Amino acid sequence: MNNAEAKFILQGYRPNGADAGDATFCAAVEQAKNDPALGEWFAKQQAFDAAVSAKLGQVAAPADLRAAILAGGRVTAAGTSSRGWWNQPVWMAAAAGVAVALGVGVALWPKQAAAFSDFALADAKLSAIHGGHGHENNELQAVLNDPAMRLGQKLPISFANLHETGCRTIGFKGHDVLELCFKRNGVWFHAYIARAADFPRVAASSTPQLTDRGSISLASWTDAEHVIVVVSKTGRKNLEALL
Amino acid sequence: MSSEIFTQLVDAHYTPLFRFALSLTKNPSDAGDLTQQTFFIWAKQGHALREEGKAKSWLFTTLYREFLRIRRRGERMTALEDLGPVESDPPAPEVDMVTGMDAGLVVEALQEVDEVYRVPLTLFYMQDLSYKEIAEMIEAPIGTVMSRLSRGKAQLRTALARKESGSRGKVVPFQTNPARKHS
Repeated sequence: MNNAEAKFILQGYRPNGADAGDATFCAAVEQAKNDPALGEWFAKQQAFDAAVSAKLGQVAAPADLRAAILAGGRVTAAGTSSRGWWNQPVWMAAAAGVAVALGVGVALWPKQAAAFSDFALADAKLSAIHGGHGHENNELQAVLNDPAMRLGQKLPISFANLHETGCRTIGFKGHDVLELCFKRNGVWFHAYIARAADFPRVAASSTPQLTDRGSISLASWTDAEHVIVVVSKTGRKNLEALL
Repeated sequence: MSSEIFTQLVDAHYTPLFRFALSLTKNPSDAGDLTQQTFFIWAKQGHALREEGKAKSWLFTTLYREFLRIRRRGERMTALEDLGPVESDPPAPEVDMVTGMDAGLVVEALQEVDEVYRVPLTLFYMQDLSYKEIAEMIEAPIGTVMSRLSRGKAQLRTALARKESGSRGKVVPFQTNPARKHS
């Protein structure tokens, strides 16, 4: 090993000595002990690295960060289980049961859409434990909450923005689905939004398709970029009033 | 997962995670959010991790992936690999340049390093993870981590020198006429 190769290896050696037992460094460290020029370079490099580490170690986290993490962590842990509930056998069985009992769904809404609707249906059933309110300041939440606004058309959806502003995100078939809850005339609804590109087999349908699943009704439609399902647990009439 | 274990985990790792997040986001507020989000993901799914000893790696990896997800970028990471050879014989850096500087300036210099090098370099300087763990985290071969450290250190030296000369060169205007009106 020449000195250039030794330097290449040694610059990865942590200044706190944590890598002392690592075989990768042994030969290079030995060479630095025997070669004064390399040894001097290594000593300076270590001093420099230690100084930068020390400076970085002086950066303090915000005073309230710890308390915020602990509080938020308790809430998160209380509201979830180790597996997404839709992946749990009991709910998979329940979803399958719903699918069998209620048939294949809307004829114009192919298989993938039915699966997405089943997912939205099952998730909405558990709304009491997961919340799902979007950020009050986002444009979509304002539209959903606006009693004068008719849905079932293109909505102001910024998927990435919603992702980052407190909207609930659920993983379904390896893709992110956003959920926002909203209230119209005292009735809660649940909107599920996915990227159309993630569910390419869902047929485009700008006209809302209504489906009844027992006492629960769903309205499903697409725009150029998104698949949208709105779930009402209070029946078709309330859902129709939105459209 | 018990509340005590979660508290212990937070106490052990939230500060280094915040420092790493700060080097990525360059913004204390975003860094705080990213750190919180990492622990919330842990609260949601991390207790499924069988080996508690891997919690540290898991947290750093999750924070980094969460950063990448939020940023939604990807093309730059690989493009920068082609910037040229690693310094074959890097000069010994001047330690005095660093020790005399304010910690904030050193962090600023670190933040000026290209992200592809900054990630392993920051982790290296935090000294929490070995180069092997860093390689696993960023899903790169060990040799790549070494070369990124080398290039990152070269960029850091340049940035530190710039910061140092900038702070030396700062001129405070000499007010000869205190009564002068501001326009």
